Amino acid sequence: MIVAVLLRKLMEALLTLICATVILFMLIRLAPGDPAVLLLGQPSEVAAMHTEVYEQKAAELREQWGLDQPMAIQYVSWLGRLVQLDLGTSLHTGRAVSAELAERLPATLQLTAAALAVQLLLGFWLGIVSALKAGTFSDQLIRLACVTLASTPAFVTGLCALLLFAVTLGAYEISSEASWSRLWLPALTMGLASMPQFARMVRANMLAELGQTYVLAALSRGLARRRVIGQASRNALLPLVTVTALSAATFASGAVVIESLFAWPGIGKYALDSILRKDYPVIQGYAFVMVTLVILIHLCVDVLYAYIDPRLQRKRRQVTRGVNEHA
Amino acid sequence: MHSTRRSVSLIAGTVLLGLLAVLIAGAHWISPYDPVQQHAAERLEKPSAQHPFGTDRFGRDLLARTLHGGQITLLSAMAALSGALAIGLAVGLAAGMFHNSLLDRLFMRMIDVLLAFPFMVLAMVVAALFGTSLFHLLLAVIAVGWVTFARLARSVVLQARNETSFAAARVLGASNRTLILRELAPKALSPVLILATFELGSLILSIAALSFLGLGAQPPTPEWGSMLADGREYVLQSPHIMFGPALFIMLSVLAFNLIGEGLRDRLDPYEKPQL
Repeated sequence: MIVAVLLRKLMEALLTLICATVILFMLIRLAPGDPAVLLLGQPSEVAAMHTEVYEQKAAELREQWGLDQPMAIQYVSWLGRLVQLDLGTSLHTGRAVSAELAERLPATLQLTAAALAVQLLLGFWLGIVSALKAGTFSDQLIRLACVTLASTPAFVTGLCALLLFAVTLGAYEISSEASWSRLWLPALTMGLASMPQFARMVRANMLAELGQTYVLAALSRGLARRRVIGQASRNALLPLVTVTALSAATFASGAVVIESLFAWPGIGKYALDSILRKDYPVIQGYAFVMVTLVILIHLCVDVLYAYIDPRLQRKRRQVTRGVNEHA
Repeated sequence: MHSTRRSVSLIAGTVLLGLLAVLIAGAHWISPYDPVQQHAAERLEKPSAQHPFGTDRFGRDLLARTLHGGQITLLSAMAALSGALAIGLAVGLAAGMFHNSLLDRLFMRMIDVLLAFPFMVLAMVVAALFGTSLFHLLLAVIAVGWVTFARLARSVVLQARNETSFAAARVLGASNRTLILRELAPKALSPVLILATFELGSLILSIAALSFLGLGAQPPTPEWGSMLADGREYVLQSPHIMFGPALFIMLSVLAFNLIGEGLRDRLDPYEKPQL
């Protein structure tokens, strides 16, 4: 039974991935201008090259990418290269895009994991406190703080943090290295930005569970309040496994802002720099890696869910609705 | 006690939004300065009676820029939202009406694929390919944003189809068009509009974040995100330049979040504490 579910999920994920590559491929074709020029850089921007050399290079590129062949064949051969993890070469450095991205991925994953830890710790704590004291002053205070924090752009929080810790206190070193001593501030900023939504969900799930009749029944039979709440919170917080995984996906892509603000050398900052340099193959490679990552995470969530509790399969869609949008 | 607090958040949000709207609409009267006119002699001035928010690195008055920028930020967010809303509603209605048809499956597959595209990534690809401008940014926002509305509209329609009134209308010989427009659309509209209120806040945040990265409005256009991006190199020396745009982004998102929260609390039966 579970194997069948897994297989179906795997097929669906694969289909989604293929559709996503079609979109990525179509986007290149929809872009104004000659793809060869796009890949090579505008003639005016490649100043060091003679016109004849440029034309020759462009012709080579057209040949290499099969740009004179029908679209379907182009797509299939592009897909073939993707399967071999050949994402092309960077226009800026001339190195393989896959190598460039692989070099910077650990820094992004490190940041993502740390931010996730911040989000989970604070979110669970504030969410549970807020639910248990629902309607009291501390609940309202927590909710107000969460709404305010949710209304603050991450880059404003980040700028304020930089101003306070790097300039005023001198406790944070401004450089462009990925080191443990530089991790805490961007991780804190990122975690704080996504925490309110998570705390809100923890609170809502807790309240929904505490409102169930079995909780009332257990309490009226004289069970200790602590134990009842402990049991109920296990039921209430299980669905949040998926929310956690999905926010990891949002982090990995949303890291662009934080990475660029704190000069954290991850793939987000690299992709942004590449946009400004018009390094097209890098952007394409980055988008492909990100989409694959998100699909993998979605797949893991589905598998995890089938494993934890097959009954909850349908419920998940409601719980996670609206989490994935707008990083 | 709870019902009053809920109304408080709704009222506070509406009042705040009204206040912001008046300030932004009255930008010309409130601050007499031109938002793009440069004054080399008045660079990076601290807030004073003459320039309440100070001046930026080109000597432009920051209050004027913030207020004029509000027009661009809020109007573009609303434009993107209406686009996403229209597409999402149309797709959701069609998919729900013709449930399990080829059309429905195609739409659902498309939604699954788009959900795999993180918004930031798509916006970056579009900016890289088509060039960085506010218009392209809005297109990217719409391309991803409609999905949420489509899913919600579809689920509402699927429920509404089971109601007797729908069956009655069908038995009476109503055409598909009438069924969609008269029976289904009115039911889907209100939950979708409530979601839209909430989405507007996060949309403003997204647009500001992308503008901050340099992928949205281009200088010298005053826009909150790009104003912050513009002052980025100077912000550590003269922090006052980020005050205006940051404050206004926060307040406007807060206003929409409060309204959304108030609406959701009223309609969500789960969040009533009983313990």
